[in-house]
Amino acid sequence: MSVITINNLRKEYSSKSFSKNRIIALDNVSFEVGEGEIFGLLGPNGAGKTTLVKILLGITFPTSGSGRLFDKDLNDVYIKSRLGYLPENHSFPNYFTGEQVLNYFGRLSGVNPVDLKRKTDEYLNIVGMNEWRKIKIRKYSKGMMQRIGLAQAMISNPDLIFLDEPTDGVDPIGRKEIRDVLLSLKAQGKTIFLNSHLLSEIEMICDRVAILNKGILVKEGRVEDITSTDSYSFVTSELSDEVYNALLLNYKAVIQSKSNFLVSANNLDDVNIIIDFLRKNRILIQSVAKEKITLESKFINLIEHKL
Amino acid sequence: MELITFISGIIREAFAKKIILSIFIFFSLILLFIVFAATNDSVAGMLAFLEASEGNADYRSAVIYFETAVVSKIPMFMLIAFYLIIVSSFIPSMLQKGHIDLLLSKPISRTKIIIGHLIAGTSFAFLSTLFLFGIIWIIISSKTGIWHVPFLYSVIWFTFIFLVLYSFVILIGLITKNTVLNILINLILFFPLSWIFYLLTMVTRKGEQFFSFGAVTEFIIKFFYYIFPKPWDLADICESIIKQESIASYQPIITSFLFIGIMLSLSIWYFNKKDY
Ligand SMILES: Nc1ncnc2c1ncn2[C@@H]1O[C@H](COP(=O)(O)OP(=O)(O)O)[C@@H](O)[C@H]1O
Ligand SMILES: [Mg+2]
Repeated sequence: MSVITINNLRKEYSSKSFSKNRIIALDNVSFEVGEGEIFGLLGPNGAGKTTLVKILLGITFPTSGSGRLFDKDLNDVYIKSRLGYLPENHSFPNYFTGEQVLNYFGRLSGVNPVDLKRKTDEYLNIVGMNEWRKIKIRKYSKGMMQRIGLAQAMISNPDLIFLDEPTDGVDPIGRKEIRDVLLSLKAQGKTIFLNSHLLSEIEMICDRVAILNKGILVKEGRVEDITSTDSYSFVTSELSDEVYNALLLNYKAVIQSKSNFLVSANNLDDVNIIIDFLRKNRILIQSVAKEKITLESKFINLIEHKL
Repeated sequence: MELITFISGIIREAFAKKIILSIFIFFSLILLFIVFAATNDSVAGMLAFLEASEGNADYRSAVIYFETAVVSKIPMFMLIAFYLIIVSSFIPSMLQKGHIDLLLSKPISRTKIIIGHLIAGTSFAFLSTLFLFGIIWIIISSKTGIWHVPFLYSVIWFTFIFLVLYSFVILIGLITKNTVLNILINLILFFPLSWIFYLLTMVTRKGEQFFSFGAVTEFIIKFFYYIFPKPWDLADICESIIKQESIASYQPIITSFLFIGIMLSLSIWYFNKKDY
């Protein structure tokens, strides 16, 4: 059974400047996530990952397209008692102590007040924050905030957990601990949806990944499959805007500069289709080279360089 | 269940931000003032004033006039403005990035969140006013020996005046997401805007025999008078009730309920369609 279903999801934001251009944060994205999976959504900053999660949680509304959680409409408020969420850059009211954060958001998630005390103890221990429970969170470091946030996301014992950049600001040991927590959740049969701009975070624990770039779903599949397709690097004369957009949209290209881009292809036919397309549009091809590393690792390198 | 948790969260925020403490200090000052003002001298002064103006005055009605003065327009403005300044921060603080996202991911509907704010703010105004006026009533009554119960109805009227203005505070808080802007816009609407149209309407009503504004101006005045909240008219009604006089017109009460209904619906509609 699929826990998350997304169909042609599109989200446009009106841009904040005076230009009439609209920002397309998501461009007809479709995929499914099955029960018990750890699903990773990968992409550079601004790719649309947070927007996608917010739409699924009913925080933001799609421009068009639809999604379902547990086969229920996204407007269904009751389904939310089965969800956990760690927002990106969350800011809990800073007069709360760690314990109060769990208490307040736990009760809002519908946790029975009788169980709350026991669960607070349990989850504070799991994320290693027991010593800090009585301290106001304004004194917490970024890594500690992430731990409390993670405990908050788990406290209602949800079936599906969304984590937006959960290891942001966490040291390497903390990252390992968070990964272990996620694996233990998976062992309990929970579904986990993980947003990250770091491949290293995702490939270690995810069963399946989707790669998002500028709102377009570049690739989706099992981690092994994705890391084993070939990629081709094109060096050409300067691309026109029209060709640039077509490459991005129709051929899921990763564009490195106005005259250099990468595409993934399973066979030579695919490569030649692109060559035909370029020639038809009067683009000169200087070289086409099969890359030794996969598109995705290259893609991720690209992202990491930009940071 | 979630609604109660949410409301208790707002109250906890009020405690955390030392709001409850500042209310306590503000009220203590008012009470201290009343203790000194409510002397037999001031009631005697009121008695003399009543005798001079109306001829037949007794001690009891002098006390009632004194009580009416305590909840008249200027103290009403000060108290309600103080409440509005306090509650103006509730919505913008909820809308902070990283907090609103989490709140909206919980199984509580957006409509309930607005209702929760309405209940929390109104209970806060009701309880504070009950506390303040209750003590004032006890001070005056024990000093004068006249226990005039209708004075206590002003708790309900003040809460109602607050509710009318608060419904607009919620809407503007949602739109501006900014406490300072919210305070400014709401205080300007309270005073002078709604006050100006209250006065102008009084003038057009009372001045009919002497002069007229002309049809167009009068229409504009009426228009704004009806769409703006009417704290000043409600304060008049509150005075009439303490004095146990009959209420001149129920129109301000009806239009105020309409105002609350419209502001609340607009807030719920706006909040339900907004991206966060
Ligand atoms: N509220 C908003 N208004 C306008 N543009 C937005 C808003 N939220 C996000 N965006 C834009 O949408 C795009 C995707 O953003 P986001 O979903 O946060 O990406 P990611 O989480 O992958 O970094 C970015 O270009 C961002 O600037
Ligand atoms: Mg993001």
